[in-house]
Amino acid sequence: MKRIASFISILVVALTFGCGKSPAPASVAGSNKKITVAFMPKSKGNGYFVSCKQGADQAAKDLGVELIYDGPTTPDPAKQNEIIENWITLGVDVIAVACENRDGISTALKKAQDKGIKVITYDADARPDARMFFVNQATPEGIGNTLMDEAGRLCNEEGEFAIITASLTAANMIAWQEKIELRRREKHPKMTMVALRPCDDLKDKAQAEATTLMSAYPNLKLIMAICSPAVPGAAEAVKQAGKFEKVKVIGLGLPSENKAYVMGGITQDVILWKTVDLGYLTIEAAAAVARGELQKGAKKFTSRKLGEITIEGDNLLLGKPFIFDKSNIDQYNF
Amino acid sequence: MIKKLKSHEAILVTLLIAEFLFFNATGRRFATIDNLFNIVRHSVEIGLLALVMTPIILTGGIDLSIGSTLGLCAILFGKLWRDAGLPPWAAAIGAILVGGACGLLNGALITQLRLPPLIVTLGTFSLFRGLAEAITRGVDAFTNFPESFLFLGSGQILGVPTQAWILLAVAILIWLIVHRTVLGRSFRAIGFSSEGARYAGLPVERRILFCYVLAGLVAGIASLTYTARLGTAKADAGYGYELLAITAVVLGGTSIFGGIGSVHGAMLGVAALAVLNNGLTRVPAVMNIASELSGVLTGALLLSALALGTLPKHLAAWRARRHISLH
Repeated sequence: MKRIASFISILVVALTFGCGKSPAPASVAGSNKKITVAFMPKSKGNGYFVSCKQGADQAAKDLGVELIYDGPTTPDPAKQNEIIENWITLGVDVIAVACENRDGISTALKKAQDKGIKVITYDADARPDARMFFVNQATPEGIGNTLMDEAGRLCNEEGEFAIITASLTAANMIAWQEKIELRRREKHPKMTMVALRPCDDLKDKAQAEATTLMSAYPNLKLIMAICSPAVPGAAEAVKQAGKFEKVKVIGLGLPSENKAYVMGGITQDVILWKTVDLGYLTIEAAAAVARGELQKGAKKFTSRKLGEITIEGDNLLLGKPFIFDKSNIDQYNF
Repeated sequence: MIKKLKSHEAILVTLLIAEFLFFNATGRRFATIDNLFNIVRHSVEIGLLALVMTPIILTGGIDLSIGSTLGLCAILFGKLWRDAGLPPWAAAIGAILVGGACGLLNGALITQLRLPPLIVTLGTFSLFRGLAEAITRGVDAFTNFPESFLFLGSGQILGVPTQAWILLAVAILIWLIVHRTVLGRSFRAIGFSSEGARYAGLPVERRILFCYVLAGLVAGIASLTYTARLGTAKADAGYGYELLAITAVVLGGTSIFGGIGSVHGAMLGVAALAVLNNGLTRVPAVMNIASELSGVLTGALLLSALALGTLPKHLAAWRARRHISLH
């Protein structure tokens, strides 16, 4: 029985490989062949990326592009690489990815480029030599300035505020916080930052930190949460302490996670780019790169939906962050 | 017993053929050499861990720390190479020795203090991962390895991925130990009854220690192929791999209670899971939910393989009952 089974398996393998074709070179410039774009989030369960995909789906429909969507569901850092390597042998035209592990994924992306596949990144960049363009959702200046300006406006340009961050070592957090400080010194000198606390990207830890902050700094006027779980976390702490007359909350987060707090008057506003637009622009850029319409060195890119997009170096800039508040947050479901 | 094992392996071979035929018919560019090599490359680490998990489970033990050992070895390899300035080959030997030391710690705690393997390795699961995170503070990553080292992860020898040769060599070695030596037979004896084995004059402690040290050493080797494949070593390397390895071993017909099992069964288990994972990403209808679906199907596959394994026993019991009632 076993011997027959192994014989059959060898036969099957031999037959299938005999018939298997090697991947054709991925060249579509000028032709009418349908372009295949493979689109990867950092992780699939994240609401942020789910809304990016909504935009990507829309763009794929508008542009007549075939979209393949896959990404890790578990925190296995090797998974993104495996999916990329699978896509290479699948013979896609463009890979667009939000990178979890910058150095790790660059090896796989370079391999894709060697096989003639175009690579762009969005949301979180790879190494510059591993991709053509990065669709940059927001510059640290854009984020820092918008957050600090809102804080100043809400506190009437005077008083104490505290920041809750994801971790004291994450590069993007440090960059944002530096820009916040710069803006404070330049434009809002009467505001003072009294504390900077990490929450490890956890909502309950952010809530505990916010509670501690309120008791440690009785004159605190505002909590600024710069990672997405911290915004509802801080708002919940303020709500439970019954201090929403006194302490305001703003932050960088998803409208859907904060809708209740914004409508309830605890969180004043939530700042973020429109993730749907980020997904849309990424697919538009991917298609343009595949068709040869967008090439290295370009200074501008015209989006069907978003109009003129500035290209800085090899970064496509999505534009200024968007402020979600009581007046508009109901219209967004991501 | 032997017969039961063989029938289980026949089921797995049939499953593999079915997967192959199905994905070849429905998947895009599934049966290409490039893709076969992808499958091999992506399953070498799980394969190595499953190989050394087999003797451990045969003795009635388990090693939950093996993925964390991989992570710690990867970090120390990076540390030795970048910060201590050792050449890659010397750092590699260092990493493998660190793996051996991790295994020695597990084995010593299990045999000397007579603690249950599940609890000991649950402890070292956190300990080794924690050490890796502490050394790098969770953020430091080692990268820019020389090409000569990366060859291990992305190169080819005689047209076959480099790491496949390592897997093959380790597989032959472990297979010979488990199936062709007195040492291997003693693992099964210990799994059936460690007290019995002791009365039969087997050095039970030394044998168990051997299994865990071997597991640590091979986890060290796996950390090298992993690092070379990704081109980077971070503290989260090999996260969750212990469970994947155990899944493959059990799917391969090894009893979690020890005593019964085979190395080739474990390899078939690894192959069945790897082909499933890869194939799903190529079927247009499920391409966009491939990762979720492969989790669901892995679970379903494991449970149905185990259930199928007990079928002959139930059938026999049913026949016996009917036989009695007829008389």
